[in-house]
Amino acid sequence: MAKTLEGYISELQGTRVWRSVFRGGAGANNLRRSLAVQQNVFLHLASVKISRRSLSFRATWFLGTLSLGTFLILAITGILLMLYYHPSVPQAYADMKDLQFVVSAGVFLRNLHRWSAHAMVFLVFAHMFKVFYRGAYRSPREFNWVIGVVLLILTLLLSYTGYLLPWDQLAFWAITVGANLMSSVPVLGQKFRFLMLGGNTVNANALLRFYVLHCVILPLTAAVFLAIHFWRIRKDGGLYTGQGDSK
Amino acid sequence: MTDEKKFVTGLDSDSRRTPLRLAFVTRRTSPQVKVTDDPVVMTYPEGILRAVVAVQSLAIALVVISLIWDAPLEELADPMHTPNPAKAPWYFLGLQELLHYFPPVVAGVIIPGLVVAALIVIPYFNINIEAEGIWLKNRQRRLRIFGAVVVIFSAVMLLFQVYAVLMPTLTIAAFMLAAARSAPDSPVRFRRWLVSKPVAYWVMTWFLVQASVLTIIGTFFRGPGWSWIWPWRS
Amino acid sequence: MLRRIGAFLFGDSARAFGTLAAVLLVCLAITPAKDHFREWHRYQKKYLGLIRTRGDAATLQRRFQDGLQQTWIPELGVVDRCTTCHVAMKEISLQDVATQPFRPHPSIPHTLTEFGCAMCHRGQGAATGVQEAHSSTLAWEQPVLAARYVESGCGQCHSNALTGTPQLNLGRKMLARYGCVSCHAIREPGQGRMQSTNPAPPLTRISAKTSREWIFAWLKDPQAYAQTATMPNFQLSDDDARDISAFLMNQSAAPPAAASPAPAAAADPQAGASVYGESFCASCHATVNAAGLVVGGNIGPELTRIGSKVKPDWLMEWLSSPKKYDPHTLMPRYRFEQKQLDLLAGFLQAKTDSDLLAKVQLQPASAGQIAHGKILVKERGCASCHEINGVAKPESFAPDLTMIGSQSLAKIVFAEGVAHTLPDYLQAKIRNPHSFGKATKMPQYTFPASQVDALVTALLAQTERAQALPASLRVAGKRESDYHPAGKAGQLIADMNCFSCHAINGRGGDMAPELTWEGSSVQRKWLVSFLKNPNTLRPALIRRMPRFNVTNAEAETLADYIMTVYQTPSFDGGELDAAKFGPDEVEHGRQLFYSKYACQSCHIVDSKSDKGYIGPTLTHVGARLSAEWIVQWLKNPQSLRPGTIEPNRNMSDEDARALTAYLMKQNREVAGK
Repeated sequence: MAKTLEGYISELQGTRVWRSVFRGGAGANNLRRSLAVQQNVFLHLASVKISRRSLSFRATWFLGTLSLGTFLILAITGILLMLYYHPSVPQAYADMKDLQFVVSAGVFLRNLHRWSAHAMVFLVFAHMFKVFYRGAYRSPREFNWVIGVVLLILTLLLSYTGYLLPWDQLAFWAITVGANLMSSVPVLGQKFRFLMLGGNTVNANALLRFYVLHCVILPLTAAVFLAIHFWRIRKDGGLYTGQGDSK
Repeated sequence: MTDEKKFVTGLDSDSRRTPLRLAFVTRRTSPQVKVTDDPVVMTYPEGILRAVVAVQSLAIALVVISLIWDAPLEELADPMHTPNPAKAPWYFLGLQELLHYFPPVVAGVIIPGLVVAALIVIPYFNINIEAEGIWLKNRQRRLRIFGAVVVIFSAVMLLFQVYAVLMPTLTIAAFMLAAARSAPDSPVRFRRWLVSKPVAYWVMTWFLVQASVLTIIGTFFRGPGWSWIWPWRS
Repeated sequence: MLRRIGAFLFGDSARAFGTLAAVLLVCLAITPAKDHFREWHRYQKKYLGLIRTRGDAATLQRRFQDGLQQTWIPELGVVDRCTTCHVAMKEISLQDVATQPFRPHPSIPHTLTEFGCAMCHRGQGAATGVQEAHSSTLAWEQPVLAARYVESGCGQCHSNALTGTPQLNLGRKMLARYGCVSCHAIREPGQGRMQSTNPAPPLTRISAKTSREWIFAWLKDPQAYAQTATMPNFQLSDDDARDISAFLMNQSAAPPAAASPAPAAAADPQAGASVYGESFCASCHATVNAAGLVVGGNIGPELTRIGSKVKPDWLMEWLSSPKKYDPHTLMPRYRFEQKQLDLLAGFLQAKTDSDLLAKVQLQPASAGQIAHGKILVKERGCASCHEINGVAKPESFAPDLTMIGSQSLAKIVFAEGVAHTLPDYLQAKIRNPHSFGKATKMPQYTFPASQVDALVTALLAQTERAQALPASLRVAGKRESDYHPAGKAGQLIADMNCFSCHAINGRGGDMAPELTWEGSSVQRKWLVSFLKNPNTLRPALIRRMPRFNVTNAEAETLADYIMTVYQTPSFDGGELDAAKFGPDEVEHGRQLFYSKYACQSCHIVDSKSDKGYIGPTLTHVGARLSAEWIVQWLKNPQSLRPGTIEPNRNMSDEDARALTAYLMKQNREVAGK
């Protein structure tokens, strides 16, 4: 049974259509497998072969992979949520109510987006500590660590800007507290705050600004840095396998 | 110091793969020796599949959580009515907790600025490259420096009455002292483990514990007017 | 076995991938399933089950719309989905169904989709779950309003008194009557601040009127002096009451020299009582009778213990000329003869209560006490209601209640044991202000539960939304005009305070008939004699027009003015001449009166046989009313006096003419006898 299934799959992979889509095709030999990675715009960020040790759970706890996973979940649910959302006052809040009461699976979408966002912040932090404790930031991976720090900050900003969008009391005052923190920066604090909020208080301008940051600017920036992050893993010699520890 | 060469020697026992050799490793170069006996597998399908399985497990967990617990939603934002307490998102509650103790410039600007700066420069400081236990070299001198740092820091914290920072600091310091009093060949495994930890490890652990404690306090133990509450008593 | 299953499912990465993909799909599939099992689906199914067995099942089923329903009115910000579960709102045939959410809505003057549901009932209209729609949640503060306050919804647009909202009307009346609006600003949408309809007496000459001991006793407990007292209990300590009484006596202007001699000491109580009765004092003033019941009107103060309160000199001055003491009083000047004055004053002076002041022992006030009294008077806001020398009327003494009906709960401090809802807060605050802390300045009222409900209803109508409604939706309330009749007649009308009972051109009370079109209605001869000696028109009523001892000249002046000025624009009074009616018409009218329209069930024409006491007696109507007025009145009574209970019988011109002919005859026959 299983064999026939595999047979069907390889037959499918041999067809012209399949081969036109996946240039290398897929097959049982390592050449095909290499091509599958090499010829794919996403996968080619990784090397063709990978150290077995780096694949073990112990090595990474898959924290980086999971962070990417949450990013993908957030992107998908976020785009779906955008279909129901108007960044205006007080319509934004009414949209939350509509999501809750009339949109099919609206509550679920919002829940998934919200919990995944929390999970992502947590996972990114955990990823950072894991990398540190394993010493994986050492040369030649110094710069990738720096990129990681940038991604951490981007993650926090994404979460923070998203926090305002429901326009409820929780959102409004969390952002107000955060914005007031910013104004304590000497000299430029007030200017920064004005720039961030588009005004002196959290209002409709701030909502629009946060919406654009949250849905366009920050995700695109994060995607670029993610690509660099993965590319650098490959260029810096693959995932750190931890042989330095044995010394 | 300058004209004296530093030698680092290593021994690889696999004579078939690596012929006996002597390597010169100077300062500011990578001390790693490329190991060739690390077995590799094909990224596709093995690596990809593992990653996908991991992400799938996460997705299942998040979907189940989303089915059970609803995301919080409160009343329509009302600029005229400040909730008490007004809390930032959880990952900023550590900072907000610090804000309770220190002036805004310190808690809101200097500390987070220092943290970000410190995180960025980590891989560029040799102290972080060093993988040796902190007490294995210059023990007396390091103990003196360590003692001075801990005492001054604790005094400042006491002055501001920041027990939320003081207590974890003293705990970590106690572990470090325990490590200092342990021998690398101690029969107790825990002591051997303690003594093997380098200074970077201790600093990061201190930061991690500190951040966690402050965040947990800010999230669960703070009520109206940022007063202390017991979460199980309300 | 387990191990084999584990190996089959997770044996290698590919198997684990497949297994987890299946699990993920199953989990994702729960979401639409969860949607499908939402409450409203269940209710709609239940409804279909309910109507299946009914006689009009086919009609009901055809009218039933499944799926989410909503009333969406963007300009009012209304998104109400209540009808998703309350599916039978318009199905009158389901009147007998007892279970919610399937009962039809009682009939109201608006269509159900005109304003949605939450406008009146509150709750979260957008919600589609039972809990979220009806209860207070973290995301929605206003729960569904208890049905007994639902009239507050009407009050958001209607500032006028509607017949369908007795509770709201009472509440609003009370807000104005009991001094609420003197301390609290309450603005009705599109109108100014609500004005007090019962101004408290000025205290600028209080020392002429009463003693410091009485003030002390009154301050301590106004209801002990008069159980119907308007003034609430400020729950003052003995010391505070002592100091306030000291200050009030001190600020009072010196009493004028006794203008009139004290009444004869031994006045005849019987004769005094009859003067009290003839003057219909009880129309405005109440007393407690022997059975302990309060009898009389509530326009003036209760007089049960008046003898313990007022000084004899003051009483004489007041009875002979009330406006000398209080220019804004509603009390008419009766023009009593000296003998009547003596009898009435003696009668009132005898109404004492020896217990009231028995325990009050006050030492002469010190300067410190007077000063402290002044501070207390300012603190307690006495000058919000009373005019007091040296203390200005405070601006916005108490919180503005214009939008109290939509007050956010977060801005309210609840007392111990009060449920966290707005109506419960208002109830508690009115019933027992001091439960909110000793520093609360609000005094203690003693309203029965029904009146508290009415007040809460009126306050709940004061919402933010009401203020923001488009002007086109607002129905303005009736506001008292500042009509002032001119000339000599105007002076007479002011002197006798006709407006205390009669309304003319939008100003005045509602105890007696409105007089705006009186000149079109009556005959001059009758009017003159009525003014001189008012006889009763309605034997069933206790309250009657008192006799004011007007002179001939005064009566003529008033009658001329009324006949000339108070004319209706809808018809010309001189057209019909009663003398032109033929006997046939009179006889036809008699038949109509007794058979077709059965007027005798409410009116009396023949005092021997007729038993109707609801409407005015008509035995002399031919001498009283003008013929044209009767015709118009019979054809459409409400056009001449809105709200009258006289039924509109859609009479033809012939019938109205015949009846008028018959009624105009109800004069000569009497006169002839």
